[in-house]
Amino acid sequence: MSDPRATGSARYAEDFELPGMLHARIVRSLFPHARVVRVDASAVPESCIVLTPDDVRDLSPYGCQIEDQNVLAERARHVGDPVAAVAAPTPEQAEEAVPLVEIDYEQLPAVFDAVEAAQPGAPLLHETAAAGGAAAYFAMRPQPGTNICHRFRIRHGDVDAGFAEADAIVERMYRIAGAQHAHMEPHACVAHWDGNRLELWTGTQTPFSMRDDLATIFGIPPEAIRIVSLPMGGSFGAKTFVRTEAIAAALARKAQRPVKLVLPRSEEWQTLNRHPATVTVKLGARADGTLVASQTTCYADTGAYADCGPGVAQKMGFAAPGPYRIPNVRVDAYCVYTNLAPNGAFRGYGQMQSTWARERALDTLAEQLGLDPVELRLRNIVRDGDVYCTGETLHDVRFAECLEAAAAAVRWSEGRRGKGIALVMKGMQTPSRAAIAIERDGDDYVLRCATTEMGQGAKRALSLEAARLLGVDVARIRFPDPDTSLVPYDTRTTSSRSTYMMSRALAEAVRDPRGYGEIRNEGGLDPDTGQGIASTHWHQGAAAADVEVDEETGKVTVTHLHTTTYAGRVVNRLGAELQTEGSMIMGLGTALFEEVAFEDGQVINANLSDYATPSFADVPTRFTYELIEEDGADVHGLGETALPPVPPAVGNAVASLGIEVDELPLKPETVLAAMKVRV
Amino acid sequence: MTINGVPREADVWPGESLLFALRERLGLPGSKNACEQGECGSCSILMDGTLVCACLVLAAQADGHDLVTVEGLGENGSLHPVQEAFVEAGAVQCGFCTPGLVVAVADLLRRDPTPSDDAIREALSGNLCRCTGYAKIFDAVRIAATRA
Repeated sequence: MSDPRATGSARYAEDFELPGMLHARIVRSLFPHARVVRVDASAVPESCIVLTPDDVRDLSPYGCQIEDQNVLAERARHVGDPVAAVAAPTPEQAEEAVPLVEIDYEQLPAVFDAVEAAQPGAPLLHETAAAGGAAAYFAMRPQPGTNICHRFRIRHGDVDAGFAEADAIVERMYRIAGAQHAHMEPHACVAHWDGNRLELWTGTQTPFSMRDDLATIFGIPPEAIRIVSLPMGGSFGAKTFVRTEAIAAALARKAQRPVKLVLPRSEEWQTLNRHPATVTVKLGARADGTLVASQTTCYADTGAYADCGPGVAQKMGFAAPGPYRIPNVRVDAYCVYTNLAPNGAFRGYGQMQSTWARERALDTLAEQLGLDPVELRLRNIVRDGDVYCTGETLHDVRFAECLEAAAAAVRWSEGRRGKGIALVMKGMQTPSRAAIAIERDGDDYVLRCATTEMGQGAKRALSLEAARLLGVDVARIRFPDPDTSLVPYDTRTTSSRSTYMMSRALAEAVRDPRGYGEIRNEGGLDPDTGQGIASTHWHQGAAAADVEVDEETGKVTVTHLHTTTYAGRVVNRLGAELQTEGSMIMGLGTALFEEVAFEDGQVINANLSDYATPSFADVPTRFTYELIEEDGADVHGLGETALPPVPPAVGNAVASLGIEVDELPLKPETVLAAMKVRV
Repeated sequence: MTINGVPREADVWPGESLLFALRERLGLPGSKNACEQGECGSCSILMDGTLVCACLVLAAQADGHDLVTVEGLGENGSLHPVQEAFVEAGAVQCGFCTPGLVVAVADLLRRDPTPSDDAIREALSGNLCRCTGYAKIFDAVRIAATRA
């Protein structure tokens, strides 16, 4: 039994080469907000190609949901904003050329906090609202004259009347730090022009969005662009949409040679992080624990460019009320520009942030009502056939089962000191499309499919599913790397949607005489009322934690971490287990120590020592989980479900010791400060 | 220097890392370039039997030394027992950290054939994996230990 990944023979985007290619580096802004007044590359050796704003003036602005970003910035909006780029025969020559590009700046006022940035009078990052990008699947609601690039609302019932009839009301503000994906393979791509045709080999979760965005940028038809998505050494949302590819392509255009661009590790923190957020939750309940009103205000800090932040803010908003029956719901979610590096898709996609806030608030409410937190949740939990605050009917609902199983795993009934529990209700990309073609090649079947592989096991899952549907051995299924010139259109490999959507398209393809299958899930929300279909399919899960807190240092140790997720029909058992374990440990990092730290807009922990990701040393002694399965049920994506409930389960466990922390991460100094005002 | 039992030579510039020379000059891209400062362990190799991060060793320092990379871990084209255990335990997702991890685990088991869980945590805490949650890597180490 061999596996190229275990022998070092697997090849990633970082390993891809073309003959005669140059190596690129990006010249980045040193200031969080500054006009670029002069770029002087005269000191750069002639063997190097330098790309300056003059070279890209013919290119159109881009952005997957709002077209607010230029290939190179003439006005830098964050520390690390690309201002110029160089390509050289060797990587070291490119590195040496970077400091030789002289740039003069005129500094502008900057803002680093989303709540502050959303206020009138804050320094504006983008004076005019830009056009909607190709991946905007809902109507944008920019607020003119402010830094708010999208506003999403849910209006359901009458929250004021609801709070008026409440016996207990909790209102708290929660803050969640930014995080870095820290995929082990940095962003890497190779761009090559063949006449007016652009070919790009890159690690991307979104080959078709990439193709369409590059077509906009270069003003060429999408068919003139070929994107090959190479296997990624991890992504977690980071390798989505255009990151480094437009710069590599513009350099290759100027050099008339292929150009490879691999980001140095430190530049990952300047490229994309997870949205820091401030979420205020107000919950009202009757004395018996019946919830009567829920009001949430979210500020999602999207950094200098919107990227998919509007979508993140919208999901943060629509997931905020959670899996509870609440007659009166009001949500206001804002996606706000600040002078930090762009924030975008990250495993959990906004829903971790609002889940942290709501599940912490529920425990505070339970405390106030003198109710067991599990009891409070069960009293209000949604059941099959209930209607969510968006107006959609919920099907195949398993929240109560998840909650009860998670509570049992930490022996909740034997005493709940040091223990915490939380639920997650996570949406899946809606609307979206998936298509696949099956070709015969001798005895083999070839899957023409845009689903990308980043370690999540999609190729294995879909190959197993194809083998099952075709009634052949899995060894006869081949699944080449997605190439947009050869595979049918698919929305994206995001949102834990691929096994669910693509396996349904696959079933269509097996039935179809031409071997082609296509599936659409329709829906979407009105951004002003939040009514419609948020998700055709909800991911359901619970987490439970047992913790100890060091009284001297404030260090939290999770002695037992457990999650229960609804898996439906499992397609790839090993993949399901790995994705759950990986989500749990990533959730633990978010809970305990992961934080992108800034000083005056500059990331001060942009390396893997100062920005700590969980290591072997951080795995809880008891690390358990359960997948609730049902034959014949839908396939449920498991790529993210176990992440969002972990931080609030840990936070609630710490709160059970009288230490109320509203901020993530629960780092020792934060916990120590909370111990001083112990309740 | 000797790499995976074969004498090799390379022209390097003074500041060049051994990792760069392995990947870019010697045709051995199995060792992965992920952090370039010894924080993640993805480029772990053996130098005269000692586990090192190839990104922290200057290429010139390797002159005259004996190196083993992931490509040379197995003998005669077969998998090393640690590599077998990783595949069997399903301890691989994206696989980017795996080349460094299998070299580090082989080194651990050579020094301590029956490591305790604490010893595994200690020995491998310098090898970061962002995908798996580590549980199945623990399993792989235990499987490999029973066969060593």
